[in-house]
Amino acid sequence: MLSETASLVFWVIAFVTIISAIFVVSLRNIFHSALFLVLCLFSVAGVFVLLDAEFLAGVQVLIYVGGVAILMIFAVMLTSRMTNSEVRQQNEQKALGALVAFSFLLIVTGAILKTMSVKGGFGLSPSPSVTISTPHAIGRLLLTNFVLPFELVSVLLLVALIGAVVLAKKDGD
Amino acid sequence: MLETYLPIFLLLCVSTAAGGGLYLLSKFLGRKTTDSQYMDTPYECGIEPVGTTKERFPIKFYLIAILFIVFDIEVVFMYPWAVVYRKLALFGFIEMLVFIGILVVGYIYILKRGALKWD
Amino acid sequence: MEFPQIDYVAILPEIIICGLALLIMLFAAFLPRDRRWITGHIAWFGIIVASFAVWMNWGTDTRTFAGMYSIDLFSSVLKLIFLLGSLLVVFMSENYIRLHKLEAGEYYALIIFSLFGMMMMASAADLVVFFVGLEIMSVALYVLAGFRRSDPKSNESSLKYFLLGAFATGFIVLGIAFVFGAVGTTSIAQMFDPQQYTLANSFFYLMVGGGLLLIGLAFKLASFPFHMWVPDVYEGAPTAVTAFMSSGPKAAAIAVLARVFVVAFGQHITQLSPMFWSLSVLTMFTGNLIAISQTNIKRMLAYSSIAHAGYMLIAFATGTAEAVNSVVFYLLTYTVMNLGAFMVLLVVEGKEDGDNEITSFTGLGRRHPFLGAAMTLFLISLAGIPPTAGFAGKFFLFKAAVAKGQIPLVVIAVINSLISVYYYLRVVVVMFMIDTQTEFRPVSYPAFLYVALVVAVLGTIVLGVFPTSFFPFDIPLLASGR
Repeated sequence: MLSETASLVFWVIAFVTIISAIFVVSLRNIFHSALFLVLCLFSVAGVFVLLDAEFLAGVQVLIYVGGVAILMIFAVMLTSRMTNSEVRQQNEQKALGALVAFSFLLIVTGAILKTMSVKGGFGLSPSPSVTISTPHAIGRLLLTNFVLPFELVSVLLLVALIGAVVLAKKDGD
Repeated sequence: MLETYLPIFLLLCVSTAAGGGLYLLSKFLGRKTTDSQYMDTPYECGIEPVGTTKERFPIKFYLIAILFIVFDIEVVFMYPWAVVYRKLALFGFIEMLVFIGILVVGYIYILKRGALKWD
Repeated sequence: MEFPQIDYVAILPEIIICGLALLIMLFAAFLPRDRRWITGHIAWFGIIVASFAVWMNWGTDTRTFAGMYSIDLFSSVLKLIFLLGSLLVVFMSENYIRLHKLEAGEYYALIIFSLFGMMMMASAADLVVFFVGLEIMSVALYVLAGFRRSDPKSNESSLKYFLLGAFATGFIVLGIAFVFGAVGTTSIAQMFDPQQYTLANSFFYLMVGGGLLLIGLAFKLASFPFHMWVPDVYEGAPTAVTAFMSSGPKAAAIAVLARVFVVAFGQHITQLSPMFWSLSVLTMFTGNLIAISQTNIKRMLAYSSIAHAGYMLIAFATGTAEAVNSVVFYLLTYTVMNLGAFMVLLVVEGKEDGDNEITSFTGLGRRHPFLGAAMTLFLISLAGIPPTAGFAGKFFLFKAAVAKGQIPLVVIAVINSLISVYYYLRVVVVMFMIDTQTEFRPVSYPAFLYVALVVAVLGTIVLGVFPTSFFPFDIPLLASGR
């Protein structure tokens, strides 16, 4: 279980994450949305820290905050009349969307609560190999049991790279 | 455990205080201007501004940024390998060579296709 | 430290395909622009070599990469279907690329990478491998959909496919996380083994994970209610890519559905059956009823592919190994006849852009009897009229379903097939009964496209007449893993 301080920190981080996520999907200035996305992704890194997944927290900051979010801000700046203008982030189907999202929340919460009540705590069978998530353990797993997905990731990155060149490069040589 | 992150927490506090404080200071102490014609123009060292500050970026930046992220992710995968490099012995080394080798093909490809050329 | 054993002979086809894609990329980088058409020939040659490698491994029954990768008859059959589909697509594309001046090197490299991803999905014995394979396939397809960059419709297609596909991917990741939470492993074989885990306390939790996985896979399969993207994406994508999209990813999604829902969650398949039942019925009706009102042939084929996804889901409502075997056979027939229809479409389309109205087929049967006859064959096969491949596919599927007592479902499927006859035959009527007043658009027969067309015609007939002599109907669903 989390200690007193840790649980306080968790609530603060959770609050920041959710509020900034709401801003991302509701602000009318899309540039501000992108900035709140940075905050949101950063606080998710905080959640990783609380879960003892320091490596993931580092990766989260490095790739999501430092890379993906910046890329999104780039994308906003690439698009003319995006930086100033007011964008409508909703449409006529928002009631339906809210209904679906809410029922999804209910199902997931139900699943978690039900599982907890049965065994008192998360009644899941823990896999011994992933309980410690230091870079050591990750490295060991990546290059032994998970070596196939590891190699596949490089192929995936390569495909993404070709895709970027095909779609974003100017015509001609 | 969390004490390790105290410096980061302090840094966050100080930077928030510095940023927010300066903003509030200028709000309360600064002179209120009603003339917004010059306030809204970009600062150009006293020279008449020639355009807006919100210009579109060329797509070249974007391409470079995407390519950066691809190789960024590659490096992230190298980190856990590097810390247990000795224990992984030859097997790990060869697997890493394959991993990098596949991406080197991609690197050669973008070089030859001129995706990194600026013009 | 213990390192996993890697059986390099068993994974030879994958190595060949991956190496082929890398080779094509290098050719694309180093060859001058006017010589890049060579990559197409490398592509089809490589695919044939890889097919031989699959053939060589026929009957191998092993799991390698620490049990993550299962090479068995089930995956070998599926791989051959993927390879055949990709081979036909490469043949089809040769002329298309020339006419539309597309970048040949990247095009073929992406097709081959996508094929590689599908092969990974077919053999994945672990949800992580399946996920990365799925992403490789999908990312390549997103790019291929937008390959005609100057065409706004192609851009729209790519963007829609990407946004919705990425959303579906999110569901899959969440689903895998839930399944992992419930059973503590991502290995399909371990989930399958009842001694490895008990579900008493986390059944609901596991089912939430399964449901999320199903949402993502239903999207790739183009099943109701996740079919909205299909018509727009199919219409906007380059025609050769549409052909690829409508056969490969569907087959790969079916493979994973079989491995996850029939093998891993095999104990609960009777509880899941009503869900697949309703999905199947709704998908069939949606596809067939909306297809009736289409005037654009690509959109019509898109809705027809939704309807076919509905027929395929019958196998999962049934949930027996026999049903899964027959759905794999169904995939083979669907690949052949569907690609065939797209080949005729490619010939008729020629150099024209975006005009794929059904009326553009007016008088085709009279002016070009071979093309008209071939198209008629593919269409009646899609409708499921004997003695074509489509009939044989439906026959075995329905037989397996009836054997498990799914009679109402089969009746509904037969009614749907009858509905589909209407819109398929409408094209035949246009081709043969009406003559054009003006001269028919000049039609050329590019050599490779012609070869592919002949293969598809022969396949549709042969699979329809002698289905059992070409297809093993007793495939075990997972390697016993020694």
